[in-house]
Amino acid sequence: MRKAILFVAFLFVGAFLLLGVADMRPFGEPQMAVMDDYYIQNAQPEVAVNNAVTAVVFDYRGFDTLGEATVLFAAVVGVLGLFRKLREDER
Amino acid sequence: MNNNSMSVIVRTVTRFMYGLIILFGFYVIMHGHLTPGGGFQGGAVVASAFALLLVAFGSAGLKGQLNLHWLQSIEEFGALAFLGLAFLGIGTAFFYNLFANSGGFLFGASVPTGSNAGVLTAGGLVPLMNWAVGLKVMTGIAAVVIVMLVGSHKEETE
Amino acid sequence: MIVQSILHVVVLVLIVIGAALAVWFKDLLSSVLALAAASLLVSLEFYMLQAPDVAIAEAAIGAALTTAIYVIAIRRTARKEEE
Repeated sequence: MRKAILFVAFLFVGAFLLLGVADMRPFGEPQMAVMDDYYIQNAQPEVAVNNAVTAVVFDYRGFDTLGEATVLFAAVVGVLGLFRKLREDER
Repeated sequence: MNNNSMSVIVRTVTRFMYGLIILFGFYVIMHGHLTPGGGFQGGAVVASAFALLLVAFGSAGLKGQLNLHWLQSIEEFGALAFLGLAFLGIGTAFFYNLFANSGGFLFGASVPTGSNAGVLTAGGLVPLMNWAVGLKVMTGIAAVVIVMLVGSHKEETE
Repeated sequence: MIVQSILHVVVLVLIVIGAALAVWFKDLLSSVLALAAASLLVSLEFYMLQAPDVAIAEAAIGAALTTAIYVIAIRRTARKEEE
């Protein structure tokens, strides 16, 4: 019974993936290239950085990096807090 | 297999490799605004060297060499430095790149447009943010791995 | 161009094989190593798609750090999967 349900779910997800593949665009042709062109044209004059990805990560999309840093900080604090009891017992 | 350390092959290769991995990580952080990579990637590479050391030598191999409080302090310093650098340009906007193309001595040089070799002293706040995030990521992940290895030591000795 | 396409297909098939092996193995250490191999192949695929930033991050996080954390966890707990 459980395997039958899993198989049906597998078929369902696989059918949706195949449906999505059916109307995929050709490889390497993005739908909206305006923003990409802006970054590629203006990363060097505006941010004075050769690596356009770093210009996006730390300048144009700085908030994303701030959120990522917050997530990492929360993870580290969580792990340290989780193992704190064990370390104090060891002392 | 005493002391949680792995076999002699793993330990020898680790002793040979970890310096090179740390050097490569610092190279990735330092050249984050010129070559592929950046603070997060370089910090993860350095932290993977620490994780390799811990897995190969066990918790006894690092006893007293890497202090957990120091790691935590450096991680929080990195996070606060990143936030502070973001606040530097608050006069215009949050995350405004204040030093780029300013001509000052702190990463203020300009970069010619088109494909070139890159200028190491350019980029404004981007290299400083690379260092802040790199320090944060390397010490944070190293602290996680150390605490997982040392903190769960108790059940094993029972 | 055709060589590149064949290389892409080979790497993608190897990724799927590595992921399937990671699920299939009963020995958890072998499973973790299969996962690390799949992760390294994903990193190679990113590099072939000209995204070296993501490739470095994937190689460091996926192939090195998660493997180390899993090895530590397996050393502390059981090595064999229970049915």
